[in-house]
Amino acid sequence: MDVLKTEALTKVYGKGQNQVTALDKAEISISEGSFVAIVGTSGSGKSTLLHMMGGLDRPTSGKVYVENKDIFSLKDEELTIFRRRKIGFVFQSFNLVPTLNVYENIVFPIQLDGNDVDEKFVGEVIKTLGLEDMKNRLPNQLSGGQQQRVAIARALASKPAIVLADEPTGNLDSKTSQDVLGLLKVTGQKFSQTIVMITHNEAIAQMADRIIRIEDGHIVKGGAEND
Amino acid sequence: MTKVNNKGVIRRLAFREFRKSGKMNCIVIFSIILTCVMFAALASIGGALINGFQNESMRAVGAKSMAGFKFCMEEDYEKILSDRSVTGVTYRIIVGTVINDELKDLNVELNHAGSDDEAKDSFCFPETGRLPESEDEIAVSTLMLDRLGLPYETGVKVHVVLNIDGEISEHEFTLCGFWNGDPVAPAQQAWVSREFVNKNVPKPQTSFYDQLGKGKDSGVKYAGYMQVSFDFRSSLDITGKTEKLAERLYGNKENAPYFGVNPAYQTSNADSDSVTGYLMFTLLIFAAGYLIIYNIFRINISVNIRSYGLLKTIGTTSKQIRHMVRTEALIYSLIGIPFGLGGGVLLGRSLMGFITVTLNIGDARNYAVNSEILLPVCAIAALFTFATVMISCLGPCRAAGNVSPIEALRYNETSINIKKEQKKTGKTTPLSLALSNLARNRKKGMVVVLSLSLSLIILNSVSVLLNTFSFEDQIRGEITGDFNVVRKVMHNSAESFSDELQKINPEILESLRNTEGISEMETVYGSEIFLELSGEAEKKMDALKEKYAASDQSGVFDIIENHGAFGTLYGITDGLGKELVLSDGEFDEQKWKTGRYAIVTTGYMELRGTETDEDVLYRPGDTVTFTAKDQNIGKTEKREYEVMAVGSLPETLDKQSSFYFDSTVIIPETEYFGLTENRKALSVMINAGEGKYDEVSEKLNDIIAPEPGIYLKSIESLRAEYEDFTRMIKIVGGFLCTILGLIGILNFVNSVVTGIVSRKRELAVMNAVGMTGKQLSSMLMWEGVSYAVLTALTSVILGTPLCYAVFNFIITTEESFLKYFTLTPVLVCVPLLLILAAFIPTAAYRILCKESVVERLREN
Repeated sequence: MDVLKTEALTKVYGKGQNQVTALDKAEISISEGSFVAIVGTSGSGKSTLLHMMGGLDRPTSGKVYVENKDIFSLKDEELTIFRRRKIGFVFQSFNLVPTLNVYENIVFPIQLDGNDVDEKFVGEVIKTLGLEDMKNRLPNQLSGGQQQRVAIARALASKPAIVLADEPTGNLDSKTSQDVLGLLKVTGQKFSQTIVMITHNEAIAQMADRIIRIEDGHIVKGGAEND
Repeated sequence: MTKVNNKGVIRRLAFREFRKSGKMNCIVIFSIILTCVMFAALASIGGALINGFQNESMRAVGAKSMAGFKFCMEEDYEKILSDRSVTGVTYRIIVGTVINDELKDLNVELNHAGSDDEAKDSFCFPETGRLPESEDEIAVSTLMLDRLGLPYETGVKVHVVLNIDGEISEHEFTLCGFWNGDPVAPAQQAWVSREFVNKNVPKPQTSFYDQLGKGKDSGVKYAGYMQVSFDFRSSLDITGKTEKLAERLYGNKENAPYFGVNPAYQTSNADSDSVTGYLMFTLLIFAAGYLIIYNIFRINISVNIRSYGLLKTIGTTSKQIRHMVRTEALIYSLIGIPFGLGGGVLLGRSLMGFITVTLNIGDARNYAVNSEILLPVCAIAALFTFATVMISCLGPCRAAGNVSPIEALRYNETSINIKKEQKKTGKTTPLSLALSNLARNRKKGMVVVLSLSLSLIILNSVSVLLNTFSFEDQIRGEITGDFNVVRKVMHNSAESFSDELQKINPEILESLRNTEGISEMETVYGSEIFLELSGEAEKKMDALKEKYAASDQSGVFDIIENHGAFGTLYGITDGLGKELVLSDGEFDEQKWKTGRYAIVTTGYMELRGTETDEDVLYRPGDTVTFTAKDQNIGKTEKREYEVMAVGSLPETLDKQSSFYFDSTVIIPETEYFGLTENRKALSVMINAGEGKYDEVSEKLNDIIAPEPGIYLKSIESLRAEYEDFTRMIKIVGGFLCTILGLIGILNFVNSVVTGIVSRKRELAVMNAVGMTGKQLSSMLMWEGVSYAVLTALTSVILGTPLCYAVFNFIITTEESFLKYFTLTPVLVCVPLLLILAAFIPTAAYRILCKESVVERLREN
């Protein structure tokens, strides 16, 4: 079953002579539980695609379905709520809330929703990611790798439909990158979590089950499940 | 080390930085303007007041020059003129005094002014016409023309009876100039020409000082000697400088002519309390300016910190960055200060106009913010503002200089300041997030809270100050009843003391009594008496003398021994009995009406208010004996009364002057009339009938206004004065609060907005992971509200002791502080503050939201 699907997704920036088509009629479908890498060079449109898939930015035309819901039919506030329930983000620069400790950061989207935390599940995620000893620490007391593990835990904690990771190892050294990616893959498999990761690094992309290539805003390979 | 000329680059960088940040510049410049307005307005008011007091005392002294040598010869003048330390040397030559009959109550000196400056410095330069040039010309004041009954026209003939060192002569002059006479001047000047002096005044051949010490002073000749006046370059330590000048010119002080220093330049002996008060006030104002500019600079730096980091990465040194920040500060000051000065002086000028009118302090022209004080005022305000800017940017300068490139590139307001290693886990809500955000940067929060609190604290102190004023308290010493008719206190040695006390003649009393609409009229009569001290009273007097004569400087005990115990006798109408101020015993109307009783006060002045039983000559039950002399018929009579109580007239109806040994005896009007045929009164108290106040006021005014020597006081005019006074405090206090409030709000807006802008990315992340706009807004709103709550708390905690200090400064009696204490202004302002604190952050966030989440996330 496709957990995420895009239809002729197009994003145009600027007007007239300055007009740039960052994404041109992109068609992608991603099935539940898969680990997909979107690969492209700098400026190819991969981040734009990820932002659209996560509902952070609205397309010029085209649609995004998450669990068969047309997410852009939602108003801004509804979309934000949809995001915290259905989509987990992992950013290149970790983006933890500096005033919250590790545990609070992880359960932040759940608490924003006013829901009770599934302690058992969150505990397991924390254990899997090796964060048990640093639950009360603040982000500025953590290394980059540790911070990214917290970000992954935060993305998984609310059991979203899909986790979107934007160059998750971009700020890490190669050894830590390997560890973090390994953990991302392992936890994804363990919790049957669909993960979409964008990267420009071919070697990292090879860890994914499936690779989608994007060039100049066009999906050149792997858009459909069987490409 | 090789010296590299890189100043140009740094300056260019500073200018570019400056041009880059438009909105921030506006805020910084606005804050500098505001601070400068505050300094300039306060300096204008202070300057105008000091200048006004000085002008007024100079007029009272009759001289502008700083110092002068008295009774000099021509060679003395030459000597002084040749000294380099003095400037503006002028002289006058003493001729004599004008003693025309018409000028009995006016002291007129006739002199020759050596130059226009001499006349100008004495405030006696002809406004119409000129100084005399030929022998028969004279220039005088309008006051003298009035007395002589002459028109204000040059060319009229002036007949002068002149006393030159005891020799009387008469002269006919032609008026060549006149000026507006100043009634406060100790003497009126009349100027004659040098030619007149040459012909009529013998040129002194020996020093004035040779005449002295050779027996009687009466033979001393003054005419022909010069009074030489001069200035120094600065008004600091004039006495010391004059003494040094005398030593320089004459070897030692003793050989030099007498010299005098203009008292207008001698700073009053300010007591330590008021000096501390002024100092505290100045510090407070300075602190307010510092708080705003410091905070804004700090914020400015934190906004620019990445670019400073970048500059450092590419090789700019800390020193160069500091220099850059200072150059920016200089540019800001250059733009902000002129506007601030303009605004501040205008504001100061209008406030000063208001203060002079409402306080009725002398001639308003003396107190104007005029060109004379404009330069120093602007210089002081500009200097203060510039110093504030420079001191304020010291810290931020250091911060900018010390920034490490890597830290700066990664900088977001948060990461640096959280020192806690662990944080207890709690439920995350917008409120809890807001509170932890507040704790991120305590210093910034403190500055904002302090600067907001400052205006609230001052507002509260002003209200407490106003609370301590009550009309009833204020007028207690000013008026008794609705209207008082009292004498004007004048020092005219020609009049006897009894004459001075008797200014309201019987015809006026009759008119007053017949005024329609009055419900009560009480009269006080007064004349002089001598107490006959015998028995107990005499013993007490001897004891007093023994106790205090050694320390007494007035010589009052000798006077009493040689001339008798001088005192004042008052006759009062019966209705005044209830108004008397008694310190021992009670007023018994029945007894009083028998005419055998008196109310008496005796005491040595130094003791007033602290007398012990032994220090008071008469106690209730004693007998007082005195002799009174009726000057009309020359009859002297001795009287005896039993002392009913120790007490005196209410100050408002009393003689308004006092002596070193004060003895007053108050007896009923009927008794008083038995002693004298004089029916002139000292003072009158009148009450208007119900609803008749305005009518009575008008009629009384018609009766009193034309009479010399007395005037009418009314409760309504006092009320108007009182209201003007409180209004002035409200306006000046309001002005301070407004400026400080604006500074506080500006600080608040600035920190909130920059706090939000610098957290742009963080807020975008929160939004990305699912915090809705509403939740974010409410978090930011809680942050603002927390500032408001902290401000209210700080205002109360810091403001209460300050109010207490103000209270202690004003109220010296043992009254309860709580009676006057109020927190109403803070309570009124808090809701406003809350609204503002809730509104500004949400508004700022809304503006931020114009950019999409993705755009904000991309920001580095």
